[in-house]
Amino acid sequence: MMTEANSHDEPETLDRILKESRNIRGVSLWQDAWRRLRRNRAAMGSLIFLIGLALASIFTPLLPLQSPIDKDLNDRTFLPPSFEPVSMGSREGLKFQDNSLTAELNAFETSVAKARAEIAQLSSPAERIEQTVQLEQRIAVEHPFNQLWNQLGPVSFAMVRARVAIFGDFAMPSLFGTDKLGRDLLARVFWGSRVSLVVGVVATFVSLIIGVSYGAIAGYFGGVTDAIMMRIVDMLYSIPFIFVVIFLVTFLGEDSVKEVLDNYGIDQITIFYIIIGAIYWLTMSRVVRGQVLSLRQEQFVESARTVGASPMRIVFRHLVPNTLGVVIVYLTLTIPSVMLFEAFLSFLGLGVAPPDVSLGLLLNDGVEALSIVKLFWWVVVFPGAALALTLFALNFLGDGLRDALDPRMKNR
Amino acid sequence: MPLELRRAFVILTLVMIAVAVVWATRFDAMPPAEFSLQNGTDPKTLDPHRATGSPESRILFNAFSGLLQMLPDGEPDPETGLQPMSAQPAVAKSYEVADDKLTYTFHLRDDAMWSDGTPITSRDFVWSWTRMLHPGTACEYNFQLFSLPNAQAFSTGVVEVGDRVEVELWDRPFPDGRREDEVGEANIQNFPRGTMLYGTLKEIRKPPEPDIDPEIDDNANADLMGQWQESWVYVVDIAEVEEDGPDTSVLWEEVVSTQTFCANPSSPIADEKTARIHNVLVAFDQLGALETPDDQTLIVHLKDPLPYFPSLTAYYPLFPVPKHCIEEYGMPMWTKPENIVSNGPYVVGLRRLRDRVRLVKNPRWFDADSVAIETIDALSTEGQNTALNMYETGQLDWVTDPPGALMETLRERDDFYAAPMLSLYFYRINTTRKPLDDPRIRRAIAMAINRTQIVEQVTKAGQVPAYSLVPPGIAGYQSPPGLEPDLDRAKALLAEAGYPGGRGIPKITILYNTSEGHRAIAEVIQQQLQNTLNIKLELQNMEWGSFLDKTNQIDYDIARAGWIADYADPNTFLDLWVTGGPQNSTGWSNPVFDGLIQQAAAETDARTRMELLAKAESIWIEEMPVIPVYFYVGINMVKPRVEGFFPSPQDIHPFQLLKTRDPESVR
Amino acid sequence: MKELSGYLLRRFGWMLFTVWAVYTVSFVLMRLVPGNPFSSERTVPPAIERQLRARYNLDAPPIEQYTDYLVGILTRFDLGVSIRLEDYTVNEVLAEGFPVSASLAILALVFAITLGVTAGVISAVYRGTFADLSMMATAVLGIAIPNFVLASLAILLFVFMVPIFPAAGWGTLKQVMLPALCLGSPVAAYIARLTRAGMLEVLSKEHVRTAFAKGLPKRSVILRHVLPGALLPVVSYLGPATASVLTGSLVLEKIFALPGIGSHFIYAATQRDYTLAMGMVLTYTVLLFVMNTLVDVSYAIIDPRVKLE
Repeated sequence: MMTEANSHDEPETLDRILKESRNIRGVSLWQDAWRRLRRNRAAMGSLIFLIGLALASIFTPLLPLQSPIDKDLNDRTFLPPSFEPVSMGSREGLKFQDNSLTAELNAFETSVAKARAEIAQLSSPAERIEQTVQLEQRIAVEHPFNQLWNQLGPVSFAMVRARVAIFGDFAMPSLFGTDKLGRDLLARVFWGSRVSLVVGVVATFVSLIIGVSYGAIAGYFGGVTDAIMMRIVDMLYSIPFIFVVIFLVTFLGEDSVKEVLDNYGIDQITIFYIIIGAIYWLTMSRVVRGQVLSLRQEQFVESARTVGASPMRIVFRHLVPNTLGVVIVYLTLTIPSVMLFEAFLSFLGLGVAPPDVSLGLLLNDGVEALSIVKLFWWVVVFPGAALALTLFALNFLGDGLRDALDPRMKNR
Repeated sequence: MPLELRRAFVILTLVMIAVAVVWATRFDAMPPAEFSLQNGTDPKTLDPHRATGSPESRILFNAFSGLLQMLPDGEPDPETGLQPMSAQPAVAKSYEVADDKLTYTFHLRDDAMWSDGTPITSRDFVWSWTRMLHPGTACEYNFQLFSLPNAQAFSTGVVEVGDRVEVELWDRPFPDGRREDEVGEANIQNFPRGTMLYGTLKEIRKPPEPDIDPEIDDNANADLMGQWQESWVYVVDIAEVEEDGPDTSVLWEEVVSTQTFCANPSSPIADEKTARIHNVLVAFDQLGALETPDDQTLIVHLKDPLPYFPSLTAYYPLFPVPKHCIEEYGMPMWTKPENIVSNGPYVVGLRRLRDRVRLVKNPRWFDADSVAIETIDALSTEGQNTALNMYETGQLDWVTDPPGALMETLRERDDFYAAPMLSLYFYRINTTRKPLDDPRIRRAIAMAINRTQIVEQVTKAGQVPAYSLVPPGIAGYQSPPGLEPDLDRAKALLAEAGYPGGRGIPKITILYNTSEGHRAIAEVIQQQLQNTLNIKLELQNMEWGSFLDKTNQIDYDIARAGWIADYADPNTFLDLWVTGGPQNSTGWSNPVFDGLIQQAAAETDARTRMELLAKAESIWIEEMPVIPVYFYVGINMVKPRVEGFFPSPQDIHPFQLLKTRDPESVR
Repeated sequence: MKELSGYLLRRFGWMLFTVWAVYTVSFVLMRLVPGNPFSSERTVPPAIERQLRARYNLDAPPIEQYTDYLVGILTRFDLGVSIRLEDYTVNEVLAEGFPVSASLAILALVFAITLGVTAGVISAVYRGTFADLSMMATAVLGIAIPNFVLASLAILLFVFMVPIFPAAGWGTLKQVMLPALCLGSPVAAYIARLTRAGMLEVLSKEHVRTAFAKGLPKRSVILRHVLPGALLPVVSYLGPATASVLTGSLVLEKIFALPGIGSHFIYAATQRDYTLAMGMVLTYTVLLFVMNTLVDVSYAIIDPRVKLE
């Protein structure tokens, strides 16, 4: 307590205290974590790299790359990396107008426009509709883009259109060389990373949803429910997943099943994601369960229960968000496992089907090309580096996140 | 945790490590072989009547000897080095053919014996071929002997009233001496057989037929039918049998009694007197197809004057198998290295799964003095790169499957052998499915494929583009002009069929079994068709098991396949495609084609026969039920220190002709 | 002691239950997948196929097959005869291949643990130095490269460029080293990171600082006070580590031509060799279960606070 004698110091001390108090903010977990993460240079570097990678993957169709599927067997097999300029559509076998993609595209669009004009001239509306349908079909089948890219979705298609409009026939030279069938490796690495990343992210996401729900429920209810659910997980751990994979891949590749799925717009790659996700949820559920088990005793759970919240609400609205820290860390560590698993499956021939390409498939090709007789090093080094860098980044980011979200390091 | 337990735990870990190290080094207890080759996958079996693939054939051709054997005949081709081969005396020192080409008389060597010293007689061949045809053996090559009278009926288990049949009673002996009827349990070993009765089939009594529900799957239906067949009762006039030493002859006209038989004792139409049997089959070995006037003479009667019959006897399904060994150990245990008895230049010394089969020189082989190499290891190495690595470091002397990606570099080497093979790589087409049921579309696709690009840029080992069915190189046969690769014509055909410019054509999928080589070829064909005809093909790969099922059930659009000649005659390629043939799997059927094949089989004049076959082939080319892609090349890499290796049309390489220049193996 | 035996007994009971459950699920899965074991390049005529199915008891109704086989396993340890490898019973196949795969796995794990823990300890103790950073970078490399790529590179380096090891095969100590190294590297990398993290956490604890303050030699503090606690996450990782070593061996056995059970695994499934596939699945299950139990027991040994439940 201040005495009368020190009253002339009061305002400064009070000011000082007030100022300090303003600086001490109550930090939420996330803000605190973010601050710590920012200081971890490796993690930030990885984050930036991954964001860049994500952008590159999303916008791959927009980039001036060569075709990832076009095989030039006569001239360009196993070419080492070079800066030799290339032009889109110049391969003889494609039989493009003027050996150029833009010229062929122009010619095609002109003929389509002419056809449309002819249709507009028709008198009966029914016939017009029929002809339009046929024309659409024809466009889908005969479009020059089909020769150079495989099954472009509507968004990708638009991006490729834009790319041709901006860059014309220019394409980056084969900086990564070509593979045994004369395909440009730079383009394949980009398109392959796109697929591998999507597989990794989507599969992990699927495993996340299943694993978190399962683990949270098991952890919250405890007792017999928990014991049974965890026993099931233990048993599933022991099932050799390779059988499951083969079974599911074959079963879902059956024509009858495929038709049903096609109607829902689900194709082979999507199946693949789901299958892998269905295998990886086990670890996630264990981790979440452990976390929930310790969180269960906390006050906020008790109060929620007192207020009358239903168990499901408590689990999903209160407990799960608090496990997110651990979950996110495991996410960044599961994606690498999934990507490696995809490479493993491709090695066994159970992975993505050509002409689609993934990093696993590229590595498989690459390993073939490594032998003492002749060393085509670029076929394995570039995809390998792409995969390694991605996995590095994910691992560093995961480590950084783990450190950042560690509650013991709060406010340090 | 008490301290002792913790220590125990540490000790346990150390013990495990020691065990691991011991296990790791245990394998190398034997000296290396003189000569090692890459044999691909593990052989499925060493029983000549159950084997079908190349890894098995390499071992069987050298562990067993047939009536004849394929040996070099003539000068090798100066360009390719291809050494023509022909069927030459082996166990049979000579043979004669009757003028009508329907009777072969083989004279066996008197010094031919099994590796345990038992002499080989003509009866061994009768027993072996009977076993090969027996439905219980399930030999997948049984059709090779179908030109013998009654062989097909015997093998397919078909009997009709009036046939002369054999009945096997349900009293097969067990190894311990007891019989089935004493023990009450079935002996699944087909040999030694139970008591055999012979007679003429008078009647077949059948209980009411079960209803087949089309909803249930085929297997269940087949089982139902099978069970129903087992409850049939056969009424047979038993004939008298005359024993004359080892030979039995049946006096068919002398009926001793009439009995009823049934496989299922609880059949609704059986009575107490019905004897229980295994089966009633046509009495193949008693009806004169094969005759054994004495130990050293074997007479074979054929229904058709097949010119390639001698080659058939040089192929492993027709090799003799040791009766005494099989009857003692049963199938498949008789093939274990410690039990097996064989009669070839080598015997099986050791077999380790996924590792190797070791062949050891057989001193009892009739020409053992000419065999130079004492021990040969057939290593089960599948990885192409692995095999090449082992070859480079001296662990292997012969690579049978070099890596495809390196073909360009490898084929320049001196130790690389590539020569044309009688073998075709093709794409099967499901002719029952739209749009492939239209031959115009099939021809269009076939024409649009640029085979030159495939063999020059993808497979790169000198394969030959195939525009017809039969590979070149068969003496006396001239293939008719094959498919012309004409792009404009292909486009015209496509338009004619109703899909101008590729528009509107339903989705077509190419199915192939998982393998780098097949994938590359499929991808290239996919691109070719996209570029030329604007047809978008989908690719689907499946692992081997599923792939074969899809193919056999004709549940595919286009499926990749391959076929190696069983013998050096066009018929081996042509009779694949007869209506309902077991290897057909395309749903294609053309009665004119079938007629020509049958006619050719019955034709004695060689020239006319070849002409008939050529006519059949031209029908085939016209309809194109299958797209030929290329004719294989037999590719091998063999160390320079090895002599006596030469490329041959069926990729057969007799081991007894191999010599190494230095007696020590290089490690 | 009683607690331990009680625990082991209960685990054994769970193992039997798990094996039964896995058996049932695998049985159903294998029957559901299209295809049968008798497909081959040459089509088998239906009559012959019936004979083959009869021989392998495949024509009995599924329930009967299920119980017959199960009874056979439980009473006689008889896993049946392999359908594809005709001359072999499943037991023989396992007997021949298991020592190879097991010794490879054990050596790989030993290598991984030794290298991983050592690297982790050094990294943690000399934290922030060049040694630490380079080791951790190498560790991440081990995790980021698929093991078949690693194997191919290792062959190029150590078989051809610097001829230390033979290219393939099995039988001498030299031949097992390269595969064990390639198989163990990803695990070593992961263990190094786990050890390092664990060490760092324990090093900051009170009792460690006390030990240092007491003047105990650094080495003894680390080995006796820090390491045991830091090893807990490593020990719990050993379960999944074994699993990954066993699956990684599939690929490596093909590359190095090792006669182990790994490749049997894949081929049994793809060729519908029901009996062999079942044998593999059950062996794998038992192995993992035993490994997990060992891990739990070691947990209790290392950390006296943990009770076996």
